[in-house]
Amino acid sequence: MVERLVTVRNSHGIHARPAAQIVKTTAKFASHITITRDDLEVNAKSIMGVMMLAAECGAEIVLRADGADETEALDALAAVIAAGFGEQ
Amino acid sequence: MGARASLPLNGIPASPGIVVGAAHLLRWEVPEVPTRVIPDEAIPAELERLNAALRKAVERLQDVRERAERTAGAAESAIFDVQISVIQDEELAGRVRLMIGQGFTAERAFDTVMVESREHFARSANAMMRERVGDLTDVHIRVLSVLLGLPDYDPVDLPKGANAILITHDLTPSLTLQLDRECIAAIATDAGTRTSHVAILARSLGLPAVVGLLDATTRIETGDRVILDGTAGTLLVRPTTAELSQADARSRAEALQRAQLAKVAGAEAITADGVRLTLRANVDLPDEVGTAATSGADGVGLMRTEFLVVGRASMPTEDEQYESYSNVIRAFDGRPVVIRTFDVGGDKLPVGGYPHEPNPFLGWRAIRMCLDEPELFKTQLRALLRAAVHGDVRIMLPLVVSVDEVRQARFLLEESARELAARGIAHRADIPLGVMIETPAAVLTADALAAEVAFFSIGTNDLVQYTLAVDRGNASLASRFTPLHPAVLRLIRRTVRVGADHGLDVSVCGEMASEPIMAFALIGLGVRTLSVAPLSVAAVKQIIRGIHTSVAAEAVTRACDAGTPAAAEAVLRAALEQELSENP
Repeated sequence: MVERLVTVRNSHGIHARPAAQIVKTTAKFASHITITRDDLEVNAKSIMGVMMLAAECGAEIVLRADGADETEALDALAAVIAAGFGEQ
Repeated sequence: MGARASLPLNGIPASPGIVVGAAHLLRWEVPEVPTRVIPDEAIPAELERLNAALRKAVERLQDVRERAERTAGAAESAIFDVQISVIQDEELAGRVRLMIGQGFTAERAFDTVMVESREHFARSANAMMRERVGDLTDVHIRVLSVLLGLPDYDPVDLPKGANAILITHDLTPSLTLQLDRECIAAIATDAGTRTSHVAILARSLGLPAVVGLLDATTRIETGDRVILDGTAGTLLVRPTTAELSQADARSRAEALQRAQLAKVAGAEAITADGVRLTLRANVDLPDEVGTAATSGADGVGLMRTEFLVVGRASMPTEDEQYESYSNVIRAFDGRPVVIRTFDVGGDKLPVGGYPHEPNPFLGWRAIRMCLDEPELFKTQLRALLRAAVHGDVRIMLPLVVSVDEVRQARFLLEESARELAARGIAHRADIPLGVMIETPAAVLTADALAAEVAFFSIGTNDLVQYTLAVDRGNASLASRFTPLHPAVLRLIRRTVRVGADHGLDVSVCGEMASEPIMAFALIGLGVRTLSVAPLSVAAVKQIIRGIHTSVAAEAVTRACDAGTPAAAEAVLRAALEQELSENP
């Protein structure tokens, strides 16, 4: 299993469209992927879960991936978050 | 079958214009789901029925998204990707399958899971989650409609040139994206107010609209012929031939009036005896800026900022406010823009959980709330200081009753300017600061206020309300809400005199100034700057050009000494009628 702490950078946080981008990204991988914020851990392939994180700009979240393609999965997920989902 | 009488429905005028068209009823609401259990052997087929419905809903959404992308753009139509992802959410579908496995029908299982999810999001303390309830509701309706074999109401299917009048309970964001002016001519909704999303959108699209009809969706059928009057706020369902030709005539008359007023719009606001007035426009909502800028107004006399906070899930950031103010200031290209700081009570704020008040108009609101929430207030002040580099901006404080409120606000304004300077951000520190005169306390201490501010602006509605102790929202008191009460006239006269003694500009902002008799009284009292709704600017200009300040002053002096509001009004009305008959 691999994990990484990242910070949400886009000014509107993980609202609906970024959540859709996250699940589109994670759906490409076989690994089990989760995102944790404070005490809440959600399945990163479930948009309902990702929207429940309600992670605003500046929120620190932990990404975890477990499976054959865990490293690539974690890199891809961290990349879309670091890119601010193409927003500001 | 005899001819049915036409059915009149009254709502709130949201966007002006008269349209005759065919109703297109959009029943976008969660359908009733019958409770039914299924035998064990039927479960596999029911699971397959769910899968098929989810697939069909996704295909439908992909189609809607593609079409919305053409009318609304890629960024906006991305909301349908979110809805597609919700339908494809395996965790959500897993919960539905679990219930089907227990013997529930696919629709009952899906309905139960969606009701739970929507409640979970709706009750969240987090605004970002609450904002998603609309999307979940859309998914809920769409999938259930497929499962129940209900017709698909998406307006994207209307043919071009249908000239349809869209009738719906409320316009959700996803329905909004499907509005295509080539097939939709007007909008009518059960819900909504003049400032709700649908009203703003209709005005910006130039689509006539009536909102707040309460139950129009239950009284109109698709295909019914409807006359929608967005100016009066009415619908006439299944009109008679006579009513149709009347509507036609009114629609032509409106166009003619617009053309006539457009001619006056460019003329100067100068009275019959040669006194030049300044006529400005009020701006409530960002979408009115275009109309205001081309109305013939000399700037903005009152830009309200409440739209930035009311009905939102979170407070607007400094950058967002800066953009909003800058847009208005740029549109007026150097003409003065008076921006009023937040004039709301704590209960209207998206943050804080402030208690409900028994007397909100006498409560914790406007400048009182802003001074008690300095960070919230300073965010607005910094945005204003930054936006001020784009033109002639003036800041106006609402509901001031004492000069120390002005001093505290000025202290925060200067502190905000220092913060911007420290961060090296461009701004203008010397913005004129003025106050609203809308309480008897402000009038009676106007001399003290005058020593500390750059201008006065009289808010007539509130001045009447606070002077006469008459709630302006209370329909049973409507006849007692008398702006021409001698007490009100004397307070305005006193304010104008104090302003003149101190060399301050005294303006009146408020819809009242757009009534001919009020404009006449105000000019008689010595007011030389008026600010009215953009659509009233030309009409007020026409009145100004027909009256003499000397006649108005003489009439209003007698009105001030009249014993009753009715006597005051009679004096003014007689003088005004005389004027207008002599100067048509």
